[in-house]
Amino acid sequence: MTSTVVRASGLTKRYGSFAAVDRVDFALEEHRIYGLLGRNGAGKTTLMQLLTGQLFPNEGELEVFGRTPAEHADVLRRLCFIAESQRYPEDFTPKHVFTSAPWFFENWDAEFAERLIADFRLPLKRPIKKLSRGQLSAVGVIVGLASRAPLTFFDEPYLGLDAVARHIFYDRLLEDYAERPRTIVLSTHLIDEVANLLEHVILIDQGRILLDRDAEEVRGQATTIAGARSVVEEFVQGRPIIGREGLGGLASVTIDGRLDREERVRAAELGLELAPVSLQQLIVHLTGADLAGATEKEVAA
Amino acid sequence: MTVVATATAERELGPPRLRVGEVWRIVRLLAVNPTIFFGVPWMILGGAWAVTMVIALIMSGAGAPMDEAREGFRYSWAVLSPQWYLVVVGVQAVAYTFSFALGFGSTRRDFWLGMSVIFVLVSAEMAVAIATLVQLEQLTNGWWIGAGMFDALWYGQLGWGFDFFSTFVLQLLVLFIGASATTIYMRWRVRGMMVLLFSTVALVLILIATLTFTESWPAVWTWLVGLTPIGLTLLGLAAAAVAAVAGFLVIRRATPR
Repeated sequence: MTSTVVRASGLTKRYGSFAAVDRVDFALEEHRIYGLLGRNGAGKTTLMQLLTGQLFPNEGELEVFGRTPAEHADVLRRLCFIAESQRYPEDFTPKHVFTSAPWFFENWDAEFAERLIADFRLPLKRPIKKLSRGQLSAVGVIVGLASRAPLTFFDEPYLGLDAVARHIFYDRLLEDYAERPRTIVLSTHLIDEVANLLEHVILIDQGRILLDRDAEEVRGQATTIAGARSVVEEFVQGRPIIGREGLGGLASVTIDGRLDREERVRAAELGLELAPVSLQQLIVHLTGADLAGATEKEVAA
Repeated sequence: MTVVATATAERELGPPRLRVGEVWRIVRLLAVNPTIFFGVPWMILGGAWAVTMVIALIMSGAGAPMDEAREGFRYSWAVLSPQWYLVVVGVQAVAYTFSFALGFGSTRRDFWLGMSVIFVLVSAEMAVAIATLVQLEQLTNGWWIGAGMFDALWYGQLGWGFDFFSTFVLQLLVLFIGASATTIYMRWRVRGMMVLLFSTVALVLILIATLTFTESWPAVWTWLVGLTPIGLTLLGLAAAAVAAVAGFLVIRRATPR
């Protein structure tokens, strides 16, 4: 039996005439890992700030653990949200963060935190201001994991993390989640990096939700067909095409929708290759092509 | 099913109430790095004291009459040197620690209450120490060399009790003014600060104009001169209380940066 942790309807946050979150409806179920995906400035952080009572909505209904989050200590003590651009008190070091965390998170696991600090090789006595982007992300990741809050938000956790650190986060999150299920919201624009973690995808763009669906369903939603150009073109004729690439006589076309058994057999007979579509490809298609270049550049960096 | 879960949650949560632990953890958070509230003010005071001592040594070395010098030291503002720093501490508590506390799941109300508690504790600590140092300075006749830093301005005239009370109030006022002015920024950002600045200026001008046109300046002077030191301190205490309450009301809807 699942219960709903968050329920939002018509949720809106405006800054002047600009709607950062625009009449959004969604629900989060208990014990699932959600991906809050979208481009930079899509409204991901604003949405999480609304959910954690840091911002006040202009319109709409919002319930977190059964009531409005803002100023309700009983709701807030079940949440953990370290923003990507989190402000820290003057002259704070990671040591100060981990010393004070147990006062605020009743499920705080100090041993787990220590293991993670060692894993991430986080310098405890260096001022927060002097940490690299990756080390700063590590502080947020460690707090998020070790707090074991029933509703935990990770805001761009991969920002600046190296490959090893990304792997550690991935492993530790799944490991701990299996032992102590909780509701996790991962916000990121680096979609392929987290794709395998996600059970549910919420795609937000320009303050609106474009997609709110089970991750498996999303992954199977589109197919890529590759092979000789003429054969591919003939095969995809009449189908909704969402992406097209070509090199010489070869072509690779992505279509919206899945193929049935009969169609798969026919494709095989024609010598065509079928490949699943990555979450990122699909989302790039849904939110516009600009994202592709931006994301690749950041991954490369 | 979800309806049931919501109903249960509602019952579990109950109405908001005051929890001592949730306020106290803010006190601990603000003091987790003790240098800010308890270290730096004493470094500043210590530095000012060292400078005063050196000046006194130079003066006596140059053969200045130290009895008259003691009179001169009464006009030294060195005893107030940590005040400027503590305004900044009040500002930073709201500008930085507030945002962080919200991330850690504190309510705005608990943050303000916890911050007020540490302000009272710091003010009391400073007041006890400074009032006692005034006594020590008098007892040692200016640290044995005729130097004067604490026994200056209004200090050392009305006894330990008044020195304690006046320092306590001044400290509280300075901290709460820094903190509550920053809540305006945290709620309305630059626009709020502009409105605050311009309306303060406008208010002062209106006050001056009113007093001038009604020719009530003499009455104001008489009132000011007639104020006893205790009366003035109580006025400061009232101002600190107003800043504390106003800051609380403003921060209840403030948003982190």
